[in-house]
Amino acid sequence: MNKTIIYTESQLIGDDATLTLVELCQACSSSEDMVRELVAEGVLEPAGRLPQEWRFGGASLRRLRVARQLALDLEVNTPGIALALDLLDRIEALQAEMARMRRY
Amino acid sequence: MKYKDYYEILGVPRDATPEQIKNAYRKLARKYHPDVSKEPDAEARFKEMGEAYKVLKDPESRAAYDRLGANWQNGQDFQPPPETGGFQYAQGAGGGAHFEGMDFGDFFEQMFGHQAGWARSAGGGRNMRMQGEDHHAKIQIDLEDAYRGAQRTITLRMPEADENGRIVNRDKTLSVNIPQGIRAGQTLRLAGQGGPGIGGAPAGDLYLEIAFQPHARYRVDGRDVYVDLPLAPWEAALGATVSVPLPDGAVELAVPPNSAGGRKLRLKGKGLPGKQPGDLYVVLAIALPRADTEAQKDAYRAFRDAFDFHPRAQ
Repeated sequence: MNKTIIYTESQLIGDDATLTLVELCQACSSSEDMVRELVAEGVLEPAGRLPQEWRFGGASLRRLRVARQLALDLEVNTPGIALALDLLDRIEALQAEMARMRRY
Repeated sequence: MKYKDYYEILGVPRDATPEQIKNAYRKLARKYHPDVSKEPDAEARFKEMGEAYKVLKDPESRAAYDRLGANWQNGQDFQPPPETGGFQYAQGAGGGAHFEGMDFGDFFEQMFGHQAGWARSAGGGRNMRMQGEDHHAKIQIDLEDAYRGAQRTITLRMPEADENGRIVNRDKTLSVNIPQGIRAGQTLRLAGQGGPGIGGAPAGDLYLEIAFQPHARYRVDGRDVYVDLPLAPWEAALGATVSVPLPDGAVELAVPPNSAGGRKLRLKGKGLPGKQPGDLYVVLAIALPRADTEAQKDAYRAFRDAFDFHPRAQ
């Protein structure tokens, strides 16, 4: 097996909104149309008013990827994706709450 | 290699209509979708049914699959035609890591992977320039690494084009710097480490989504970290100064007298570091010593007699 180690710089995609529409689409193999629809539905909330001014934070990467998988795998439409993501967020918040309350 | 019974995986008869196959897949996919399901083996199941559906939904590949015959049992040893290729599940050395959407099982790859690889190089065209695909993987890191920052080596099994343009899997070992203060759910971008570009175009990027390995001591919520601190009853009642292990060294903590179990003491700024560092919460838990010897029982009796204490009184 090839054991060459590739040293590479990694860049943290933080909460500051830095990704453009084009970068976000490229990163998630998604179409601009899909991102526009998700923004209209409130699933993604970029800074900036016009699509060419939009800047997305790191959390958008994960949301868009889940949205895309749901659309591809389950053929869920945009309002369905919005609902699923909201419910997933709530489940995650409840699980974090449960973990905090857990006792040894 | 084991034979896979795609009909059994989707729970449909061998003469199922395309409509039945689609409905069965949709129903199972909702149940086992890894972004939604909490079933422990959801990811593996989802991949398996995706593989089954991919083969059975297409009349040509379904016919090729059916030609293997109906006498094979799921999991039976199977000798494939002499073709290789494809993608599969990979376990990273520095924690679990996997790729999405490209890791079908051996059986599928032996049967159908060859065509898939060929189709891609032919379909890509000779004169086309296309930036390589961006790849995504999830990695689990230790909480301690997020406190201090770290350099970690991960091995990922990634599709690459070989000299003939066919897509094959190769292990790729990357040394990745984990920035201090990174949180679960955040993403690292490794420029140029994704799929190869076509026609001399640049390679895609690799995105690593971060999760924390479950920790025996700490629980993490965003930037905040929680740790349970067991106390003897006299420490809780009289107050004490105890050493609390933190992900980044220990601190001496003054427990105030008359502290109740469940009380949270906040250590400001001792959560995950960063521009706005998180807080660390020490949750007090009172541990009771057992009364085994006569002397220990006497101690509890003296304890009882010293108080007019009614724990169940409203």
